[in-house]
Amino acid sequence: MTNTRALRLGLLAGAALLASVAGSWAQGTYTIGVSNTVQGNGWREEMICAIKAEALASGKVAKLNIAHRNTDAAGQSEDIRNLISAGVNAIVVNPADPSGINAALKEATDKGIVVVAVDQAVTEPSAYVVSNNQEQYAYLGAKWLFQQIGGKGDVVYMRGAAGASADSDRDKGFKKALAEFPDVKVVQEVFTGWQQDQGKQQILDFIATGTPFNGIWTSGIDNVIVDALVESQTPLVPVVGADNAGFVGQLNTVPNFTGAAVTNPGSIGAAGVTLALQILDGKKPAEQTVLVDPQLWENATAEGKAKLKAAADPSLSPEWPVSISIPGWTDYTKEQIVACKGPGE
Amino acid sequence: MTRFLRRRGWVAGLFILFALLLVATKIIQPGYGAGDFVSLSRAVLPYAFAVAAQTVVVIAGGIDLSVAAMMALTSVTAAAMMNGASPSYALFVVPFVLALGFVLGAVNGILIIVTRVPDIVVTLAMLFVLQGAALLVLSAPGGSAAEWLKALVVGTVPLPLLPDAVTAWFPKALLLLVVCLGIVWIPLKHSKLGLSLYAIGSSELAAFRSGVPVARTRILAYAFSGLFAAMGGLTLTMSTGIGAPIPGPYLLASVAAVVLGGVTLGGGRGGLVGPIVAVFVLRLVRTDLTLMAVDPNVTTIVEGVIMVVVVMLGAFLAMKGRSP
Repeated sequence: MTNTRALRLGLLAGAALLASVAGSWAQGTYTIGVSNTVQGNGWREEMICAIKAEALASGKVAKLNIAHRNTDAAGQSEDIRNLISAGVNAIVVNPADPSGINAALKEATDKGIVVVAVDQAVTEPSAYVVSNNQEQYAYLGAKWLFQQIGGKGDVVYMRGAAGASADSDRDKGFKKALAEFPDVKVVQEVFTGWQQDQGKQQILDFIATGTPFNGIWTSGIDNVIVDALVESQTPLVPVVGADNAGFVGQLNTVPNFTGAAVTNPGSIGAAGVTLALQILDGKKPAEQTVLVDPQLWENATAEGKAKLKAAADPSLSPEWPVSISIPGWTDYTKEQIVACKGPGE
Repeated sequence: MTRFLRRRGWVAGLFILFALLLVATKIIQPGYGAGDFVSLSRAVLPYAFAVAAQTVVVIAGGIDLSVAAMMALTSVTAAAMMNGASPSYALFVVPFVLALGFVLGAVNGILIIVTRVPDIVVTLAMLFVLQGAALLVLSAPGGSAAEWLKALVVGTVPLPLLPDAVTAWFPKALLLLVVCLGIVWIPLKHSKLGLSLYAIGSSELAAFRSGVPVARTRILAYAFSGLFAAMGGLTLTMSTGIGAPIPGPYLLASVAAVVLGGVTLGGGRGGLVGPIVAVFVLRLVRTDLTLMAVDPNVTTIVEGVIMVVVVMLGAFLAMKGRSP
């Protein structure tokens, strides 16, 4: 009797020990710093939530240290230096400028900190880059749009933020497609700054001029553009946008509306965490830059419609991209990214 | 005399607050040391010049909303001019950009005097004008800076006869800040013009009746503000190696540090040391919040609350000190 009790106690103690060991292992050991300079934007919020979810799901991260505010390159350098002071093992950064933060990034890598730039590239050679292929993003969407309007006509070109490297890369892709269609003219080119309110005002101002146009290419400020067309009772021309939940919903439901969504997953932030953890564990990638290729979902064909139906997710915030995971790079569940909780939260 | 003591008391209080924050930082992050202080000084630079620009005008009883836009314009001008140019060309660019800031600042002042439109309206209008001008110079972040200029804010000052452990605490950025501000502010404050600045800030009518050239003083106050803003713009280019046409978060930060630095927003009272120490305090608070990994959406709330509490506490202590 006493023997079995002792045995049982022993087993229990052993199990508890095992559990605590497993627990501490699941807690992880690394501290990862994050620097982001656009606050209050759906895409960036998804990026932050993906970073938190991946850090939690990987089981290798003890703590995240997130410096997330609206600032310029000088302010981001300050944040990065603060993260260096905080003693992080790796920094995942969405750069405010491709070269403006190089000095701070170099200081980090000199101290042995792994630096991964996500979403947009940096020119500092010691930093790794995981980015959506922005040139391909613009090329795919623009080519589809130009084909859709029959290879000739006037298009409105609604860009992102002036000077952001994602915007200049997309401009290259857009111009590449434009060169293939000599009869397509850009009738209006504006920078939305990736701000919903600003983009909507710009298209309303343009509609008010009465200039005819055959199509609109947007750099991801998309659902408000369709709203503006519907509200002002302007003919619904084809619109290209990103895979934001609101826009994907419109492609599925707005009658007589054709358009295409090009994927630009905000979950790229999680890929940055995964790459940083791989490098910390001694598995360096062959290339300094890793590009994730986009896909195009359009509602002009039955096949495209099926893809859009499958992708639509009305449970997500309308500004969140619906591609909340990237195969091979993310390990979290949908519940985890929506919960937006990192390790220790 | 009591006013003198009170003003010094405020600055002393800020120094104590800064020292306490340094101790707190050391507790939060035991590894915090000289290298991190160098980083802090570099982060302070653009804010410090922005607050200097704001302080001159506020002491003279005005306000300058165009500070951040002025910094953006001077920064892109410098970066665009130095792009692809020889390092020695920067010797011409620096004085040119400083003069540009001085002249544009004077334009602010002249518009206020000549049109009699309130300063807040004129400088707000100038904010938009300068922002547009900055985008005309560079439509996107770009340009470059001479290597020797960038080196001016990197690392520490090699002081002879002192051990490395001591020199490690003297960042070049701090030296640059002290020299640039001192060279302009100390002679200015002790000149007749300096006295006039405080006079028109205290009471424009009394100053006018005492024979102070109010119009000229006000114009010069804005001109010096422009000069400091140009220095701020140059430090932005020096620390990032580029010029960015969209203004950074320096306008509101400058007003915040002016208030925290013990300068009366009504004008006539305060100095430059208080606001500069206030900038150090505010940047170190940001560092601490990052070190503690506070939820980033909460940090601005914390920063705002700290500011209000410090200013309220200071005013309360000053009031208590006055009553018998």
